[in-house]
Amino acid sequence: MNIVVAMKQIPDLQQVRIRNRQPVLDGVPMTFGSIDKNALETALQLKEAAGGNVIVISAGTEELEDTVKEALAAGADEAYLVLDDELENIESSVSAHLLAELIKQIENIGIILFGEGSGDNYSGQVGPRIAEILGLPEVGYVCDIELEDSRVKVTRSLEDCEEIVRVNLPAVLTIMADINEPRIPSVTQILKAGKKPKQILEVEDIGLDLKGDKKIITLSSLAPENKRKQITVKNGEELVDALLTEGVIRR
Amino acid sequence: MDLRLSKEEELIQKAARDFADKMIVPIAELIDQDNHIPEEIFEALGDLEMFGIPFPEAYGGGEAGYLSYILAIEELAKACAGIAVVISVNSVGLSVINAFGTEEQKKKYMPECMTGKKIFSFAFTEPGTGSDPKQLSCTVTKAGDSYILNGNKRFITNAGFQGPMVVIAKDSETDKASAFVIDKFCEGYSLSEQWNKIGAHGGPLYDVYFDNVKIPEGNVLGRSGEGLWVLKVAMIYGKIGLSGLFLGTAKAAYEEALAYAKQKTHRGQPIGAKFQHIQISIADMAMKYNACRWSAYNLGFTADTVKDPNQLLREAALTKVFVSETAVEICKIAMGVHGSYGLMKDYKIARLWGDVIIGPQVEGTSPLLKILAAGIILGD
Amino acid sequence: MEFKLSKEQELIQKTAKEYAEKAIEPLVNQIEDENRVPDEVIEGLRELGLLCLPVEEKYGGAGAGFEGFVVGLEQLARVSGGVGIFVSVVMLGTSTIAVHGTEEQKEKYLTGTCKGSWIPSVAMTEPDGADPRMLKTTAKKDGDHFILNGTKRFITNTNFAGPMVVFAKDADTGRINGYIVDKFCEGYSISEPWDKLGSKGAFLSDVYLKDVKVPVSNMLGTPDEGFQTLKVTMAMGKIGLSAIYLGNILAAYDEAFNYSKDRIYLGKPISQFESVRNSIVDIAMKYEAAKLMTYRIGYLADNTANKAKLVKDSAMTKIFVTETAVDVSRIAMNVFGSYGLMKDYKMSRIYRDAIVGPQIEGTANLLKTVVATDMYK
Repeated sequence: MNIVVAMKQIPDLQQVRIRNRQPVLDGVPMTFGSIDKNALETALQLKEAAGGNVIVISAGTEELEDTVKEALAAGADEAYLVLDDELENIESSVSAHLLAELIKQIENIGIILFGEGSGDNYSGQVGPRIAEILGLPEVGYVCDIELEDSRVKVTRSLEDCEEIVRVNLPAVLTIMADINEPRIPSVTQILKAGKKPKQILEVEDIGLDLKGDKKIITLSSLAPENKRKQITVKNGEELVDALLTEGVIRR
Repeated sequence: MDLRLSKEEELIQKAARDFADKMIVPIAELIDQDNHIPEEIFEALGDLEMFGIPFPEAYGGGEAGYLSYILAIEELAKACAGIAVVISVNSVGLSVINAFGTEEQKKKYMPECMTGKKIFSFAFTEPGTGSDPKQLSCTVTKAGDSYILNGNKRFITNAGFQGPMVVIAKDSETDKASAFVIDKFCEGYSLSEQWNKIGAHGGPLYDVYFDNVKIPEGNVLGRSGEGLWVLKVAMIYGKIGLSGLFLGTAKAAYEEALAYAKQKTHRGQPIGAKFQHIQISIADMAMKYNACRWSAYNLGFTADTVKDPNQLLREAALTKVFVSETAVEICKIAMGVHGSYGLMKDYKIARLWGDVIIGPQVEGTSPLLKILAAGIILGD
Repeated sequence: MEFKLSKEQELIQKTAKEYAEKAIEPLVNQIEDENRVPDEVIEGLRELGLLCLPVEEKYGGAGAGFEGFVVGLEQLARVSGGVGIFVSVVMLGTSTIAVHGTEEQKEKYLTGTCKGSWIPSVAMTEPDGADPRMLKTTAKKDGDHFILNGTKRFITNTNFAGPMVVFAKDADTGRINGYIVDKFCEGYSISEPWDKLGSKGAFLSDVYLKDVKVPVSNMLGTPDEGFQTLKVTMAMGKIGLSAIYLGNILAAYDEAFNYSKDRIYLGKPISQFESVRNSIVDIAMKYEAAKLMTYRIGYLADNTANKAKLVKDSAMTKIFVTETAVDVSRIAMNVFGSYGLMKDYKMSRIYRDAIVGPQIEGTANLLKTVVATDMYK
């Protein structure tokens, strides 16, 4: 059984600095979205439990060929990539089409895993869209997966309850960030990553036209500025009074 | 030149950093207090192959080169100097086995010392003579097809862990120094109390006593009588590890000071924004750290590419002196930024202060290394 | 990561070294005394491509990038700090034009410098200081021309024909922009040269602009890009200085090293004395660190698309290298004892040259606040 994990290349958010209310992306290395890494970890654990092959799929700029080493180092066996510098900021429907075409190239698929949302835009659309395109069942908010022959038992984490569902394979699952903790790759795995098999496709091979306006440009994504009330207090009593007046606490 | 890290180098650096953040940082203070590193940490580092980064794959290493080694040591040392000391000294043992060992010795000792379960030591310094190779007092005497080792060694790191130890001793007949590999805790091997050193806690330091330790002939490392060559190689690789280590300490001090300057306020404004001398301190540290960083990375690259041991020794000695001395300067500036708070053990800079001064004192003091480098530079 | 010069860079280093030793070394005292780089040296540098190392080939430059530039300039400045400053200012002019110039401007001024006889200058500082917000030189739009008026201080290479990038405030909008002025046009005049303490050879004077007419097409960049242009200039100047004072360190190193072997004291060369040996190692160590910093800024300049972003790193490098040069000179001076004070010994010149570095293109204290401000953003 092949376990497919879709991952999205994004700048390493820990190394992005904000300057003049804009992110500084110069010299920031690329990595994968953090929930994507949970999805990969899920795939690796399924493989360790039941065997199979973990295949990473991704579409992105030419740098992706280097970035994907991170997933291969963590334990993925193979990668299917679409590389094109035009693929920056593409819109979710385009990503879904590209990735669906990649998935069609892979045989004997059991599970297709997505992070619940990408590390940058967090639209959460690509997984469901692909399920639709491929005509597969889709289960979201997954926090636990149990393999049962040709089915899986999946726990969904809903706001105040958990729902357990059973679904036939192949299926698309989008997983939650708290499902696991991704492993740290070992040194030899890192060094071997570059030698693992990679299938690289061009956008033309898939027959998509990237020109035009199928892009989303983020203009700003800052937290709203808080206007502080700047209330001065001299002692604990005044502080309690102020908190009461502001309705932060009640007697 | 290409000063970008390759993806592989970047990932090794990141693996070390992630591990340090997740597993070491939460217990770093505890390690410092207890002067003890939990075994699980070593095993986890072994699983990540952090003990074998530059060594050949055939013997269980990562074969990723010394630049990657320095990158990883820097990250680990940033979180805890003691852990980096253990790895650095373990690597010294591995380096000399790798350079001088027979196939058999390599197969026996190298793989086990990359798992974190066995840890190498290197024993050269002695109580009466310091580090002068001509005055060795540890002796071996040939007895049939073995040697009998007697004498004391001082300041030996990792001597309390299971694993092999390289010992430099003088042949009582030929008066020449040779290198031997022994198993720690074999018969006749005993230890002092741990030395109570000022910093880099967790990296344990002992005196070692040999009382008629029997060494099979097959455990001579390199050719008999050529122990000083082994010593030279050990000196080179020890300095590579220390350059990475104190680069990490310098980085930690810089980051502590930067965070403190942003968070500590004086009359309603962060001190970093209010006082120009704090700003200048930050710039000074950044500049000095940068210089250390390129020096240390360059040393890693040199170790991967240069074969001439004299050239490598010169570079290693100069880099170790530069990085460790500059790290002390950086720590002093970072201490200045902290004011009285820096004196309190509640602040990390207090721990770094004890760690950083170790750099210029060990593996050859700065003046000693300068004498050594001068000999190579002046060619006499 | 790879800390190795390419074959091409090695060859640039070698050519610069050989040319400096053969053609500049014999004239060094003359350069000092006359405070002027001789024409034959300028022509020699131009012919070998050493004058315009980072300029693109299509404009007649060597296309060696900034890494090639720092490697080459180090060797030239090792022999003569004055020639170093001269070449660095040529780079400053050409780079400023190369980054924000139009194709016509580049074609005219870069080619004219690399292939013709022009020597560019850049004019920012004024008698009141180098704070861009305090610029008093004005440019007043008048039809298809700007009229420039003002005084510029401490400007290098003002005595040669060629373009001068003048930073001035638009009299109407108050915005700062760079304008390319042809030196010795009507209204351009210069003061007597300043007599610098060290790094002598490159002509340094004040410049007076009185109703200088500049065609609109000679403005650099768009009106709102002026501050970016200025940042590029500031970064480039620091890259040049880093290479020059790296050369100065190398010169001090060579001198002290050789002297320590030749000078006999108590029947043996002083290199046998531990304190002298220590000094030599300190110099070697500091040289290595300064070299890595300088080569790295060259590498960074070649790999940073927006050169205005180099301000912080170039400032850090410049502070580090120039301050280290002063340290090294002091240590090297100690090796020489009283002989170092005598003009007969090159060491005395190297020592005088070294102190120039930290004082120009922003003093260390000023630059550190620039660096820190950037870090706190």
